[in-house]
Amino acid sequence: MAPRRSVAGALVGPATLAVVLGLLVPLAILFRYSLNRFVPGRLMVEALTAENYVKFFTDPYYVAVLLRTLRVSGICMVLCLVLGFPLAYALARTGSRWKSVLVMLVVLPLFVGNAVRAAGWMVMFGSRGLLNTLLGVVGLIDRPLQLMYTEGAVIVGITAINLPFMVLTLESVIEGIDPAIEDAAASLGARPLQVFRRVILPLALPGVLAGTILVFILGMNAYATPILLGGPRFQMMGPLVYGQFAGLNNWPFGAALSFVLMTATLSLSAVSNLWIQRRYRR
Amino acid sequence: MARIELEAISKRYGDVHAVRDFSLVIEHGELVVLLGPSGCGKTTTLRMIAGFVPATSGRIRLGGRDVTNMPAHRRNTGLVFQGYALFPHLTAAENIAFGLQMRKLPEPVVREKVTRALRLVRLDDLGDRLPRQLSGGQQQRVALARALVIEPDALLLDEPLSNLDAKLREEVRVEIRQLQRALGLTTVMVTHDQDEALAMADRLVVMSAGAIQQIGTQRELYEHPRNRFVAGFVGRTNFLRGLLVEPGVFRSDGGLTLRYDGRSAPAGAVAPGASPSGARRALALRPERLAIGALADSARANRVAGTVEFASYLGAIIEYYVRLSSGEILRVHAPNTGAAGDRAWALGETVHVSWPVEVGLVLEDEHQPEEDHR
Repeated sequence: MAPRRSVAGALVGPATLAVVLGLLVPLAILFRYSLNRFVPGRLMVEALTAENYVKFFTDPYYVAVLLRTLRVSGICMVLCLVLGFPLAYALARTGSRWKSVLVMLVVLPLFVGNAVRAAGWMVMFGSRGLLNTLLGVVGLIDRPLQLMYTEGAVIVGITAINLPFMVLTLESVIEGIDPAIEDAAASLGARPLQVFRRVILPLALPGVLAGTILVFILGMNAYATPILLGGPRFQMMGPLVYGQFAGLNNWPFGAALSFVLMTATLSLSAVSNLWIQRRYRR
Repeated sequence: MARIELEAISKRYGDVHAVRDFSLVIEHGELVVLLGPSGCGKTTTLRMIAGFVPATSGRIRLGGRDVTNMPAHRRNTGLVFQGYALFPHLTAAENIAFGLQMRKLPEPVVREKVTRALRLVRLDDLGDRLPRQLSGGQQQRVALARALVIEPDALLLDEPLSNLDAKLREEVRVEIRQLQRALGLTTVMVTHDQDEALAMADRLVVMSAGAIQQIGTQRELYEHPRNRFVAGFVGRTNFLRGLLVEPGVFRSDGGLTLRYDGRSAPAGAVAPGASPSGARRALALRPERLAIGALADSARANRVAGTVEFASYLGAIIEYYVRLSSGEILRVHAPNTGAAGDRAWALGETVHVSWPVEVGLVLEDEHQPEEDHR
């Protein structure tokens, strides 16, 4: 027993080391920075102050950015779930020999970087983009619609990027649900919608949780999409953090923003996790 | 409860006939077993009755209602699945309540019916358990209770015992049978296990390659199999291949001249008066109806010498493989009576196998039906 346990310990070692060195140590340093003071011209000055956090929560602009980030991520999460569930179900239940090809098609967008895909949406949404041109040709509009640089564009972009994660997560869970259980429910008189609500959804709940949290976190931290589709005046937390670090060299405030973002993401994920589990636990 | 009428139902997947022209009337309270090897179409037939698989053609009636195009959730059939298919997130009681809740019965009625159903399957104290906290036999009973509590027009059992160990299986099949009788449930059961089928059925339907081979009681199938497939699938059978030389006389390929009496031969079997057309025939001999002895038994019409090539002591019987002088092999089941005069035969010993004329049954030596339709 003992030698085997020590082998297992040795195997876990490298990953643990990577997490500690690559995540926890930088986080600790970052947290320390967030308590420092920023003095223009001297950049970061050693201190032990909460003024960066106070600045964030007292300035309506920053609070608005946080709320917008939450709203966009939340909407994208719901869209991903609503759009992803039927697709995941169809993929999980198909008997087609093209199944692996279909799964590949879902994954394919991940091969293209976020920036490239956002550029693709720009071609779609621009005032002379595909959508406006089409609508104009059909005669539904006489003036181009403002599609670019709107919250809607950002939501579409982020949803498109995050959908595959939701689909893959749900698909693997739904595949684990014995189809005979659905037959059993039907034979007992459950209509298809009741089969979904009473049987499939509760059994797929772990996947729903994992998928929504994953997609929510990705949405909260989106960077390229809000910049490219939202434009300079549409701020979300990701670009804001980057701006403080790279643009203004204000490391203490950037660090504080990072912690606000991280805390908001983690606590919301945890709360929703508990809430859904309580609500649907039989 | 009601009778089930199946009128020439077929299921085709592309060019493949999963089930063809299946016609059967199952009377009120009758238990019919669909028996056949895997891929014979028995499960597809059951799924068509349940409504999970639409029939390509034909009609299905449940208690006089035409349900052919009715979705599964409106058919009112009670199903017990091979793996039970219990809802893993619901307790035993909630599993049983599911169908009643779907019927929108008031909560007190549901509770009372669930309690009664749990008592019926002797699980009174285990209603709060989740399926994974129950043994296989208990899960099986929950599945049965769940199917029965909705008072279905038909009870459909899909290999309901295959996940139980051998001893439990024999107990549960008696239990199911008693329950089915007591409640007067019209029941269709699918199995590939002939012991189970023989033990439980009122009537059996032997299927192969999507088609009915024969319908009948245990005795009818065993004594009067219509073809080689049925004779081989229900019980054990020796087949000697050869030709009819004249009425009542069979010449095996190994050169044995054997007498048989085909007076009781059913349709499909070859009557002794049939012309010796030279068509290939098979002589079917049940192993327990052959006698084995040191000397030829002159009271029996057929006597062949041979040597014991293999013996298995099976408890109630001893099974011998006897290599006949003609080179053919016969399986012989000798009862293990324990009488003083009985003796076991050693490998290599010379013996005589004998049987009276009424044991032999001559059947068409067709290909196995599976080969026909592939």
